[in-house]
Amino acid sequence: MSSGPDGAGAAERAESLQVEGLVAGYGGVTALDDVTVTAGAGAITAVLGANGAGKTTLLRAISGMIKPRRGRVLLGGHDVAGHSPEQVVRAGIAHVPEGQGVIPELTVEENLRIGMMSWPARQRRDRAAALDEEYGRFKPLSDRRRKQASTLSGGERQMLVIARALLARPRVLLLDEPSLGLAPRVMTQVMDLVTGLSREHGLTIVLVEQNARIALAIADHGVVLNLGRVVASADAATLAADVALRHHYLGF
Amino acid sequence: MVEFLQFTLSGIVFGMVYAAVALSLVLIWRGTRVVNFAQGGMAMFTTFVAIEVIYRTHSYWAGFFVALAAGLVLGAASELTVVRPTIGKPPLNVVIVTIGLLVLLEGLAGIFYGGQLRSFPSAFSVTGLKVGGTSLGVSRNDVFVVVAVLVATLALGVMFRYTTAGLRMRAAAFNATIARLSGIRVARVLTVGWALAGLLGALAGVLVSPSIFLSPNSMDTIFVYGFTAAVIGGLDSAVGAVVGGLFLGVALSYVGGYVGGSVGSEIPPLVALGILVAVLMIRPDGLFAGARMRRV
Repeated sequence: MSSGPDGAGAAERAESLQVEGLVAGYGGVTALDDVTVTAGAGAITAVLGANGAGKTTLLRAISGMIKPRRGRVLLGGHDVAGHSPEQVVRAGIAHVPEGQGVIPELTVEENLRIGMMSWPARQRRDRAAALDEEYGRFKPLSDRRRKQASTLSGGERQMLVIARALLARPRVLLLDEPSLGLAPRVMTQVMDLVTGLSREHGLTIVLVEQNARIALAIADHGVVLNLGRVVASADAATLAADVALRHHYLGF
Repeated sequence: MVEFLQFTLSGIVFGMVYAAVALSLVLIWRGTRVVNFAQGGMAMFTTFVAIEVIYRTHSYWAGFFVALAAGLVLGAASELTVVRPTIGKPPLNVVIVTIGLLVLLEGLAGIFYGGQLRSFPSAFSVTGLKVGGTSLGVSRNDVFVVVAVLVATLALGVMFRYTTAGLRMRAAAFNATIARLSGIRVARVLTVGWALAGLLGALAGVLVSPSIFLSPNSMDTIFVYGFTAAVIGGLDSAVGAVVGGLFLGVALSYVGGYVGGSVGSEIPPLVALGILVAVLMIRPDGLFAGARMRRV
């Protein structure tokens, strides 16, 4: 995690994200019905559930990709519900959507530079240093910075979109299915990376995963959605030990 | 042989104008997935602005640069007022809106300036250049036309490739969702794209009008040629637009020179439409489209 130009470390800036009574949907369909979730400061909160449970909609409603009909999204006392994505990322919430997050027509470095578009103009000269920091963290990206992003492997693409989100210097990171389509070994690397971002850098992470077993293994807290409602919310170990819940909603 | 050289060179000159119009269409298409049917009308209108300024100031260059500025403003204003409300509506809406804008601009120009053809001054001498007694069929002003479009194209290319503003525009065009999630104000970027397209259109209008005379619908044919050039290039490709413009310019110059005779002949527009239909039938993605499928 890059520290701010004021020298404040990320851990000191750790902030919890509170979603209260969120209602959202598409057209006449209600995909989220009165959802309340708290993502603890500097912790990993896994959002689990079957296809169509509302996991992705929850992230989209938080980041402003869709406007919630009701409810609040609180970060550091500010309600960002209903704000545009451009505003939400400036408020400190970075959303890595599922799949397709890489812009294949651009180079690796251009993809990364997009991550800094939310910076205020006066900080523009710190951009090179911030890029170097991400290149230090993600060596494979450093080696291919001038290459088209379309040449990257699945794991490298996931690194790229996470690095780009980190360059926005968020306090909260929303990750949608980061393990999707990755080989098991690469999946483990990505999960280790996510763990490190939370443990070492104090980033508050909301992790949406189809693969509940892997998500609960690294998460501190878990929330289970079913048909747009919260059906369980507990610490990750408790959820993982609940055989009936696992069988019903999580499929393992 | 001399004739062939003359037709080729004059084809390149007109081709550069078509390339400018094609580029302006590509700029808008890449950002908004809209074919701006008012592009020719906007160019015509800003050329009337140029003629007005030239009459009042007796300075060609004042008119030239005011027209470019007017193109910027007209492009941005069009996007903000009539195009923006069609976002998220059925695609036919914006087509009708741009055609409506064309009718409006041509109507306004007719009210203010009447429908007659007006001559438009050129920046430099239109006397044909000669090399060792052989007439090249192009003038000093034709050289200026080519250089002006080249400079504008290269400036845009550098802007898009090497500046943060350019990266912002490319990101917004390729993936608006990722751009917005990264904090890019995509709506503002689209306005800038329309403004730049307006500038290019104005440039094309001012450059071509000494050769075709100016009237409220004098840019209609030029728009069709520019659109054809853009389609040849695939609508998505700036390089394709320039190559398409040059190809069409030279092709029409041969047709006009060897077959159709005089300026204003009906044959070159027919040939252009024939090429347009042929490209759409054989390679609808244009001759320069990559193998990449567009995500819907």
